[in-house]
Amino acid sequence: MDEKTRRKWDRASRSFDLMASRGAEQRWQPAKRELFGHMSGNILFLALGTGLDIAAFPARQRITAIDISPKMLEVAQPRIDAYDGEIKAEVMDVHELGYADDSFDQVFTSCTFCSVPRPVQGLEALRRVLKPGGELFMFEHTGSRYYPFKLMMDLMTQLSRRFGPEMNRPTVANVAAAGFELRQVNHLFLDVVKTIRAVNPA
Amino acid sequence: MDSRWYFVFGDLLANLLAGAVAAWFSALVVGPGWPMLAAMLVAMALGMLVSLFVFFPCSILFGAMEVMLPAMFTGMVSGMIIGMWAAMHPLDSGTALLAGACCGLVCLSLIWLLNTRLRGVRSYG
Repeated sequence: MDEKTRRKWDRASRSFDLMASRGAEQRWQPAKRELFGHMSGNILFLALGTGLDIAAFPARQRITAIDISPKMLEVAQPRIDAYDGEIKAEVMDVHELGYADDSFDQVFTSCTFCSVPRPVQGLEALRRVLKPGGELFMFEHTGSRYYPFKLMMDLMTQLSRRFGPEMNRPTVANVAAAGFELRQVNHLFLDVVKTIRAVNPA
Repeated sequence: MDSRWYFVFGDLLANLLAGAVAAWFSALVVGPGWPMLAAMLVAMALGMLVSLFVFFPCSILFGAMEVMLPAMFTGMVSGMIIGMWAAMHPLDSGTALLAGACCGLVCLSLIWLLNTRLRGVRSYG
């Protein structure tokens, strides 16, 4: 377990809902509902956080959800209990997934790979537990290719990585580098906020 | 960008504020006699920095990236323009605030246009 990352997100759990539950979550809710609407089968949800995404889950799914921060999952518990379906939440580091190979039909992430310390290795771990032909669905913010936004996000990352996410990650390239086959990228705001769909090659 | 009225209003408010505050600070720091290049660079950096003080409270209400990037862009442009203006002539606070807010409106419009070009689905394979 990456203790430094766990401590960072344990600390963030105190103010996470204040920062994210209103503006960002309401703005992104329609796109998340559309993405999570693809849920079916045996699902792994990566980085449940305080459970804000649960409001966008379709009902009656069986979801295994992990997060590196036990404090985040404590905040998430009422939302897990209120979900009309089954969510099994576990404290786990994506770099050390405790599941057998080919365990899941689908993997979902939501604003996760801005924070995973070694993103390509994390994605490779997801590919290991995803069945061949299984799908990866991601809602992520990434770095921008365009100036001045690239410069701004590089500068902001120097500050934001101390208490939360990095803002300049090349997540689409990381998905391909981890061995997934990209199927679709839907840019929602500039080339920064996006959904990504990829497949674990058979 | 979002077409829901709450977020349209939020985007406008954040950018008008970021532009006005960045301009006001730039006019405060830069004065007549400053070399033009120095005025531009200092005010750009200052504008971008100051816009973060608008971003943090606005982000709670109106969103993350969709508020941060336009606000920082507005702060940078507003700082640059008002800083160069202030290096040529003394600027009163009212003029700086108004000109900065106008910069915010123009910058937000530019980002709306750019977003129209960039958003959408790319398929692979």
